[in-house]
Amino acid sequence: MRRYLLRRLLESVVTLVLVTMVVFAGVRALPGDQVRALVGEESDPAVLEQLRHEYGLDQPIPVQYVRYVGKALSGDLGTSARTGLPVADTIGHALPVTLQLSVFSIVIAVLIGISAGVVAAVRRRTAAEWAANTVALLGLSVPNFWFGLMAVLVFAIAFPVLPASGFVSVFDNPVESFRHLLMPAVVLGSGLAAVIMRQCRSAMLEALGADYVRTARAKGLGGAQVVLGHALRNSLIVVTTIVGLQLGVLISGAVVTEQIFVLPGFGKLTIDAVFTRDYPLIQGVVLVTATAYIGLNLLVDLLYSVIDPRVRVGGAVA
Amino acid sequence: MPSPMSEPVRPKMALFRPVAVLLVLALTAGACSSIDSDEPADTGTDNRPVRAGGTLRVALAEEPDRLDPTLARTLVGRTVFNAICEKLYDVDENLNLVPQLASALPEISADGKTATIKIRSGVKFADGTTLDAAAVKTSLDRHRTLTGSARASEMSSVDGVDVVDPSTVAIRLKGPFAPLTAVLADRAGMIMSPAALQARGEDFAAAPVCVGPFKFDSRVAQDRIEVVKDPNYYDAAKVKADRIVYSIIADSTTRFNNLRSGDVEVLDRPAATDVDALEADSNLRLLTSESLGYQGITVNLANRNGLGKPPAPLAAPYAGPMAADVRARRAFELSLDREAINRVVFRGKYQPACGPISKGSPYSSDAAQECAAHDPAAAKQLLADAGLTTPVKVTMVIGNTPDGRRLGEAIQAQASEGGFDVQLQPTEFSAALDATDAGRFQMFQIGWSGRVDPDGNIASFLTTQGAQNIGGYSDPEVDQLIAQARAVNDEARRRDLYGQIISKAHEDLPIIYLYRTVNMTGVSAKVGGVKMYGDGIIRLAEAGFTS
Repeated sequence: MRRYLLRRLLESVVTLVLVTMVVFAGVRALPGDQVRALVGEESDPAVLEQLRHEYGLDQPIPVQYVRYVGKALSGDLGTSARTGLPVADTIGHALPVTLQLSVFSIVIAVLIGISAGVVAAVRRRTAAEWAANTVALLGLSVPNFWFGLMAVLVFAIAFPVLPASGFVSVFDNPVESFRHLLMPAVVLGSGLAAVIMRQCRSAMLEALGADYVRTARAKGLGGAQVVLGHALRNSLIVVTTIVGLQLGVLISGAVVTEQIFVLPGFGKLTIDAVFTRDYPLIQGVVLVTATAYIGLNLLVDLLYSVIDPRVRVGGAVA
Repeated sequence: MPSPMSEPVRPKMALFRPVAVLLVLALTAGACSSIDSDEPADTGTDNRPVRAGGTLRVALAEEPDRLDPTLARTLVGRTVFNAICEKLYDVDENLNLVPQLASALPEISADGKTATIKIRSGVKFADGTTLDAAAVKTSLDRHRTLTGSARASEMSSVDGVDVVDPSTVAIRLKGPFAPLTAVLADRAGMIMSPAALQARGEDFAAAPVCVGPFKFDSRVAQDRIEVVKDPNYYDAAKVKADRIVYSIIADSTTRFNNLRSGDVEVLDRPAATDVDALEADSNLRLLTSESLGYQGITVNLANRNGLGKPPAPLAAPYAGPMAADVRARRAFELSLDREAINRVVFRGKYQPACGPISKGSPYSSDAAQECAAHDPAAAKQLLADAGLTTPVKVTMVIGNTPDGRRLGEAIQAQASEGGFDVQLQPTEFSAALDATDAGRFQMFQIGWSGRVDPDGNIASFLTTQGAQNIGGYSDPEVDQLIAQARAVNDEARRRDLYGQIISKAHEDLPIIYLYRTVNMTGVSAKVGGVKMYGDGIIRLAEAGFTS
């Protein structure tokens, strides 16, 4: 077990190093650098040179990388080239926004997806199933940015019932937080809701035709009890797996949604950092994301190995 | 899953009808609004009475950089500074320089080498400390000498700053320098609290302390900057709003939607495509002012080895008739119809321009505004006289934005009537600057945001080896005239000199000036007192909600 753990840890560190190297070189391969983006139209070569020296950009990329890693290891992610504010603080402000948005989106997606999936499975070949399928198809095919803009036009401008933008933390004011996050969460959750609906529907159809459901009906249980207590309960395994698999898609969808609804989250931070070629911020964002992703994967792998010892043995044999 | 196509038609229509109605309502909400408003005509100011109190929300198009007047570089940052950091001088709505933290315009010594500035009395910084000559010296010295200062080049004409008495400073100059007052009317004239500078050092940007109608409260990067009314401000009675929240909303559609929905009251730089809807909406108003800058086409005449290097004849593939023969450049200019470009590309919202000085500037003159008329036949004749075979092939770097492409295509179409075959090279802005600085271009469609003093719009672009002379233009007469215009303090004499410089530029055509943009700010009708002058800065000192 210890050997397996060490191997997995080593692999994780190597992956992390490779990710940071690729991003470090990648952002520098983009045309124009952070100094260009900062200085804009004023292209005095002396000023550009001075700033590049100040930010250490006149050093070879490997030297810049080693310096960056050295500081990052001591917990210093540097300061944003644009704002001069610490990268760690900036990320610290953005993360809770995206987390709250994601959680709210998942709740909405699960509620809509399961309800629609159950209705579609139980009321087969009716208008209800058709409507649920259509909504699912729309949820899958309509891009977030278009859906978001339309939602703002309808619910914030034509019928101003919800704010068009902004963020209020659920811990500060739950009601206002709900009003501000409702539209973005629905927009972000729409794709996931559609996936859940379709998976839930097919799982339900399969379950409704299964022997144990027939037995339950034969025992004289009511329709609702059979559907919700037996068929749905078994179908939820599929739904749970789907939610887990789709989390990554949800987070990447937040990039667009946060732009449209001006939510100061991780996605908006990433995009804005790329547009302003803010190297320290881009690197910080990627480092945090990669660490979280690799950390979670490692945790899952370790859990697997605890649950099923063949995993670690198989790894050693292979 | 059954395909929706296999479903009956009626339910589909029934489902879509309410959605379609909602969408149509939403999309036409702006267009259906009344346009018979009796609001004041669009200008850069709005003087309706406003009540005290309230939070103004402003949507900025991009994130300001460091809120440190010494280190700040972005134009958008100047709008935030306008609320929290006053300067020794400012401009009024006619772009005249007026005292702000100074009590009078500078007194210039007979030899032009000393500018004596009286400081306004009874002024306190936001931290309660007093503004005096020593504080002014501290800030000016910091602007001049701090490592990484973005003001150092603007202050390069300054030799030293002396405290004459507690309310007077003397600025020693290396030589006569007429643009000094204009320089001190921008970030180089912003005075920071010495106590705060000492306490925070290079971290001053995290909590800037200056003199202003508002004081810095908080900042969340990529999200918002908040400032609150400063009770220490010397003219606090005129300040109406309690708080201003600057939100950063990069996407222009989202920004405009937020103004329409009432989530913000002031909108920085609406997109040209949103202006019609903004004007048609009776709940919104558009403030405009003619920009101090310009847009044009810079021709690579002799930038062979990179910006800042001595001019040299171009080599392939950048050499060509545009660099070699002024008749080709004149023909290119004659083939362009500036009015049509403005009408077709910018819906007539901007102003055709033929020089670097705006009509509203005190330094404008007939010579500065002289313009060659559109004449494609004459263009062809000139090319024939020059012995050039048409179509003359030229390449032009343009921005890869929608507006940049449309402008490039309009130029391409018009130039073809004059005998040119223009190949467009759409390029991302930073990449375009990299390429053109290095001299890798024939023509480049580029502009300049503009400065109050004409020196800022001319000197570095037309002086030999000037910091922004990417075309490598070099003319001893122009160099001499620019140096003269800098050294003379008399306004009429400077106006005449700039007229001469522009006439010479019209002869040589290193830059073919095209049009001048219009600064635009969208404002909710609920808000009054917002001002925007030719410098494009949104001024909110007296802004508030209408009563």
